[in-house]
Amino acid sequence: MLEKTKNIARQILEEKKASAVFGLMRNEWNIIQPHLFEDPAGLANLVLEPKWLLAKLAMRILRSSPENYKLAVICRGCDERALIELIKRNQIEKENLLTIGIACSQEQAAICLCDRPYPEKLDAGEKVSGVDPFQDERVRKFLIGNDKERMKRWADMLKRCIKCYGCRNSCPICICEPCKLEDDVWVQRGVVPAETITFHLIRAFHLSDTCVACGACQEACPVNIPLLYLQLGMRKTLREKYGYEAGLDPETKSPVLSSAFEKPDTDREFPDWINSLREEDES
Amino acid sequence: MANISVFLCKCFGEIDNTINFDFLREELSKDPSVVLISIVDSLCLETDIEKTVSQIRESNSDKVLIAACSTLSRGNLVIESLIKEGVERHKIGLVDIREGCAWIHGDNPEDASKKAKDLINMGIAALQHKDMSDDMSVTVHPNALIIGAGPAGLAAAMSLARTGFKVNLLERSKVPGGMLKLISRCYPDNDDASNKLGPYLREVENNPLITFYPQSKITSVEGDTGNFTVHFSFQEKDSFIQAGVIIVATGAKIFFPTGLYGYGEIKNVINQMEFERQSLNGSLETKKPVFIQCVGARNRERPYCSTICCPISLKNASRIAEDIPGASVFILHRGIMTPGNTLEKYYRDTLSSGVQFIRFEEEQPPRIIGSDYVEAVEVYDAITGITRKIETDLVVLSTPLVPNNDNVQLAEMLDIEVDRYGFFSEIYPMHPLETKTDGIFICGSARWPVSSDHSILQGKAAAMKAVSYLRQSKIAASTLSRVPGLKSGHARVVPESCTGCGNCVAACPFDACHIEKLEGRYISIVNMMKCKACGSCVSVCPNGTMQIPEHNYRMVGEMIKMAF
Amino acid sequence: MNQPRILIFACKWCGFIGADAAGKKRISLPSRFRVIPMECASLVETDAILRALAGGIDGIAVLGCHIGGCRYNNANHTAIKRLELLQDLLDTTGIGSSRLLLSFGTAHEDYQFEEIIKNFFDELTLLPPLDPWL
Repeated sequence: MLEKTKNIARQILEEKKASAVFGLMRNEWNIIQPHLFEDPAGLANLVLEPKWLLAKLAMRILRSSPENYKLAVICRGCDERALIELIKRNQIEKENLLTIGIACSQEQAAICLCDRPYPEKLDAGEKVSGVDPFQDERVRKFLIGNDKERMKRWADMLKRCIKCYGCRNSCPICICEPCKLEDDVWVQRGVVPAETITFHLIRAFHLSDTCVACGACQEACPVNIPLLYLQLGMRKTLREKYGYEAGLDPETKSPVLSSAFEKPDTDREFPDWINSLREEDES
Repeated sequence: MANISVFLCKCFGEIDNTINFDFLREELSKDPSVVLISIVDSLCLETDIEKTVSQIRESNSDKVLIAACSTLSRGNLVIESLIKEGVERHKIGLVDIREGCAWIHGDNPEDASKKAKDLINMGIAALQHKDMSDDMSVTVHPNALIIGAGPAGLAAAMSLARTGFKVNLLERSKVPGGMLKLISRCYPDNDDASNKLGPYLREVENNPLITFYPQSKITSVEGDTGNFTVHFSFQEKDSFIQAGVIIVATGAKIFFPTGLYGYGEIKNVINQMEFERQSLNGSLETKKPVFIQCVGARNRERPYCSTICCPISLKNASRIAEDIPGASVFILHRGIMTPGNTLEKYYRDTLSSGVQFIRFEEEQPPRIIGSDYVEAVEVYDAITGITRKIETDLVVLSTPLVPNNDNVQLAEMLDIEVDRYGFFSEIYPMHPLETKTDGIFICGSARWPVSSDHSILQGKAAAMKAVSYLRQSKIAASTLSRVPGLKSGHARVVPESCTGCGNCVAACPFDACHIEKLEGRYISIVNMMKCKACGSCVSVCPNGTMQIPEHNYRMVGEMIKMAF
Repeated sequence: MNQPRILIFACKWCGFIGADAAGKKRISLPSRFRVIPMECASLVETDAILRALAGGIDGIAVLGCHIGGCRYNNANHTAIKRLELLQDLLDTTGIGSSRLLLSFGTAHEDYQFEEIIKNFFDELTLLPPLDPWL
């Protein structure tokens, strides 16, 4: 998979399809870091592991570059979805972005509770099937029980919060400047742990229809709050009720933003002959 | 912090049994921003308004809070009279302590007083942050544009021209008249269609205020309420017209029921329009016609009743029954629809003229017997349960009107709505003929299948609605409200903090927002002429950049904090 | 036990008119609710609801117009979808969606308003008090 990715990246650079390839590099001190590969020779140091979300960095690079600067990003499924969400939000120009999609391993998917561990545009690697987060033991253990038990579990978790804003800063889709979480009207300032209902739930709800379940918030959290679990219920609802999933297609807007109601025109049952007539009509 | 003067109204002693005004005064005096507390007997009386205004002038207060009855009672009157006296609207707050407090908690004066205190505190908090929207106005172009020269469009053109406005009348075909040109008689008065159309056609020809553009097709529409620019091709040349209002009277299309009951294959199976044509040119020869109703209507594909097909069949059936001696006329129907004040009599008259009615069920439609020529129609009578065979020499299919093919396209250009079938639609039933965009009206069968009489009626109504725009030289965005005086403002974007995410664009039900690239980044721009201040954009804006100043998030946040 | 506190966001075309009509009829209601009139249910920010819950308010009611009866070209449909999603989040965290009452199409009338408010009070009384820190 690595070799194939390198080849694709080299081809892109040589054919000047993009000004640079953005990926991970093992540097001379054997430390892995994000790197802009502008020279095909540098690609020898390209690595694909560990999982490192590049979407937000890619957005920053593109925003601070001249207009015709094209960037190819080596991305996993979640990264690609995040990039698509950023395109939807007008943060990235669609034509300035190329993606080199790589698939995640089964183990990685299990760690991330990822139900879609591959990008839509897959270039290297084998697609593995996703994990249903609600079948996962960790999630089930956390989300079962009645309201009271669940509230207690969440309270214990969220009381650890040190309000570092890591969840917000690491989120690839949190782009607002200023942010409502810094506004005294919504979130009390100077209080640690952060107010649960406002700080955490406002953050969670703002991402309700944009969360790509990358888990960056959770990984960034220094006190290990399972922040991704907050999103799971809403993601499930969106999928089941409206057939919508964030980050699959830059053209599909969130159903929560439109007034369209997915209701049948009429609940009347119609006899069969009408259909047979209609078929004749169409022919 | 603005200084606020608070006026508490006792409502003629109506509410001071419940609410303890001394307690309120005491509580309010603790608030440093309150500079004046005045307890008035009845704020809605003129004398007290005068007193109030002089008190406001004497005090050094910036804003006024009134605690009285609700806006729906006399609260609005108080606000209006204060505005008349020169107090700005956004500096007045109203708290409802009568309907919303005293009257519903009459049994619990202690709690009612506490609630009144909280409500007033909420009012003060809100007033501190209340701001005023920007406004803009547009110079109204004095001409009207009417799309479609059918009965509705012609009636609208005539009404507008006679009111003294210049009218541009666009028509797709070569001649005006629309569908009325194609038929012989109108229901329910059985008048000749040409008689009905005549005065309007003469008006178009002779009135210098009406300019008729045949063979034209709209290509694009620009501009907003009061000043639209419509580009169109006129006899294959590109042209444009400016207009203050647009009336859409494009009518509807006849549905050809190809494949149903052998239509298109069998010679003597025709639809109502061909029947009309044959009776216009005198080629109609029938003694035993059978009319079949609801062909292609009230089914899964078109689950609506077109409303005009039953009266049309009644008209044509009774005509044959009366004119041709010995004729036997059948109407096979799924329930005769004759709404309104004239059509029921029309139905009774048709019954007495000898026309026979047979009701069939949707599941068991009539069957055509004969392959090249229909000799009979077999129908299961749903009332008697008997299958009958009716000899016939002509089968007339009553088909519904269906929307024009380019309705969706035109609606997109004009920024108006179409309903689920494809007809143009209003956005709210209480404002008929008005569309999503102010200044664009719909009438006639473009809106919904209607008779020629109703088309004319709606055309005239739309014209009068248009006049209310045209007679103004300038329209302010703040007055563009369906209910006069009830527009609360316009959404406002803070360009510095807008991320350009486009949530507002997706959520706006009036397409008032759009994203523009300014200085290298995208920001949202609000079109005030379209904004109705519903707040859909406000609630989806992730960082509070989009606000309605009269109802901003700071106000709501502070009100929540003061609520208990 | 203390009576629950309720905050009502009422659309000024529907819910607010119902509340007003209840006042005009002098229907006796429990006192611990406050009405904030809104232009439309779609103006209700989810953040405001969460803010209110964090501020010690036990229940929020959003009263809007009938489906298909919105003055603002079905803006209330958007509101319903969004608020139902918020109910999901409240369920996930154990706050419970029953603390957010959505009533679209009722509360137009005084007696409906009365019924809704009284029922909501009864419902909330049964719930344990909400710890603003969870």
